[in-house]
Amino acid sequence: MTMDAAAHLAVRGVSKRFGATTVLADIDLAMPKGELLTLLGPSGCGKTTLLRLVAGLAEPDTGTIILGGRDITRTPPYRRNVGVVFQSYALFPHLDVAGNVAFGLKLRKRPKAEIDATVGRVLALVHLDHLASRPIRALSGGQQQRVALARALAVEPSVILFDEALSALDRKLREAMQGELRQLLTEIGATAIFVTHDQEEALTMSDRIAVMHRGRIDQLADPRTLYEKPATAFALSFVGQSVRLAGRVTESVGGVSRIETPAGPVLAPKTFSPGYDVIVATRPEHVRLGPGDNTLTGTVTGVVFQGARSTVEIAAGGLKLSAELSGRETPPQPGAAITFGWPLAETLIYPAEGVA
Amino acid sequence: MIAAARLLPDRARRTALLLSAPGLLVLVGLFILPLSLLLGVSVQGEGGFSLAAYQKLFGTPHYRHVIWNSLWLAAVVTLLCFLIGYPASFAIARARGGWRSLMLACLFLPLSASVIVKAFAWTILLRSSGIINQTLLFIGIIDTPVRMIFTETALVIGAVNIFLPFMVLPVFSVVAQLDGRLGEAAATLGANPLETFLKVTLPVTMPGIIAGVALVFALAVSAYVVPTLLIGERFPTLATTIAKSYLLTREEAFGAACGVALLAIAIAVVVISARLTREERA
Repeated sequence: MTMDAAAHLAVRGVSKRFGATTVLADIDLAMPKGELLTLLGPSGCGKTTLLRLVAGLAEPDTGTIILGGRDITRTPPYRRNVGVVFQSYALFPHLDVAGNVAFGLKLRKRPKAEIDATVGRVLALVHLDHLASRPIRALSGGQQQRVALARALAVEPSVILFDEALSALDRKLREAMQGELRQLLTEIGATAIFVTHDQEEALTMSDRIAVMHRGRIDQLADPRTLYEKPATAFALSFVGQSVRLAGRVTESVGGVSRIETPAGPVLAPKTFSPGYDVIVATRPEHVRLGPGDNTLTGTVTGVVFQGARSTVEIAAGGLKLSAELSGRETPPQPGAAITFGWPLAETLIYPAEGVA
Repeated sequence: MIAAARLLPDRARRTALLLSAPGLLVLVGLFILPLSLLLGVSVQGEGGFSLAAYQKLFGTPHYRHVIWNSLWLAAVVTLLCFLIGYPASFAIARARGGWRSLMLACLFLPLSASVIVKAFAWTILLRSSGIINQTLLFIGIIDTPVRMIFTETALVIGAVNIFLPFMVLPVFSVVAQLDGRLGEAAATLGANPLETFLKVTLPVTMPGIIAGVALVFALAVSAYVVPTLLIGERFPTLATTIAKSYLLTREEAFGAACGVALLAIAIAVVVISARLTREERA
């Protein structure tokens, strides 16, 4: 709670239902000023609803939202000073680029000279200063995205929210925007929340990622921790590639469990009661040809050369697994019987229940 | 390449001309020719060219009042149609499924009935022995039937009822496409509901409003059946005066002059609305 008290934005015990459906269940989230946080999850996980609650475009059923030390739970959006960049951009079609960016400043009754200066400065920030008098419909998707960003930044919001804001751009433009946006937001010290279902975007853009699943935050961690130590089987499957085996615990001694899987026995560094159904996993890059702490045998079904590395597809005990080899290693031929393994320390284990 | 590039606009222009030919023929045959004839008739006096008809129309207080009546009726009806039709368009646009179909049907089904039928229906409803007076008498709100028919009120009620679809149709078509996120975007930028309406919703739907206003004004200013049946002689308009000049007093030049005046108003409406729409888009 000490962290929470110092938080710039705090969401405490927030729930939201639509009819009989619980969209958000008891969400807690605290962000320091200047943090870039991503709400990551599949569609329907509640991430957009959480964003709308912070923006004031919807009200929570329970819980409170604190922004800059002020309880804004019931504050209407126009008194929150929260910026939103919408997926569809929602630019005002009757105004030109400068008119869109100046919209919030005019409402705040700033002097004209100040508005002009701010509009020019913000448009320069997003590299659109040469298009100030263009009508919106004459802009490309990427340019509209920048206008939407400039419009939200112009009023210097306490927190800026991105609702799948990059998803409408094509891949190349999106990747360029990700880097640029992160740099820009860091430069101006903005506090931002991104909503996305794109794990790469989440890993690129954020200081911390909240993996959301069925209205809850499964894990809130920095990208590295999230990748290396996923807290749940869902977080594991949603972020990065993984080799996963379903099995049952046969014994558990000295903090190491032995699990029987269709591909053979596997050890995992965690205590579980025998008889427990679990998911055992590791990341493909930990899998090596030849025996390891955990060793399985299988048949190579395919090899995909990807330059710096190769992915080997393996059939083992009726399961399809994949392992990564450094590009310099000679990959086995399809059809070959191989032995492969990975270290005990890189073995992840989760209860099997509630896995989608 | 250059030759081809030059050919293309030429061909495109020829195609455009060819495609618009049937329309142009209809315009010339059915509108431009008869309207030129109308203009000719309006300046025909006993001894050739004469502006007597226009002198009578613009010089006589009575006929200046007729012009005023037409403009007043059109303005009031347009305003009321806007005040009713604008929120109604939002109601229809926000309604879902069956409700939306039902509301649209209620609005557009009456279009299939003749304006005479509708105007006559209002005379039945509004007359002294009509259902409205009977109901009010029965409830005891009034002791003697109230004179409703042949009043300005009856005229305006009937005209608004009949012309309302022509306001809702263009406004609804714009409102239905209004992106709900625009309002949310405005709110997050600090606009309260009133500011959102004035600075976003109203300007974004303005093209529909301009079209609806132009349509209803043009229809109402030239309405003939509605004033004839609902108010009659007490409220002469340009349209009823044209009919009188041709059918009763046989002053063809004067009737034609009234027609030209009506045409001038209609052209003004079209030109102004087109210019407003262009400014809106620029």
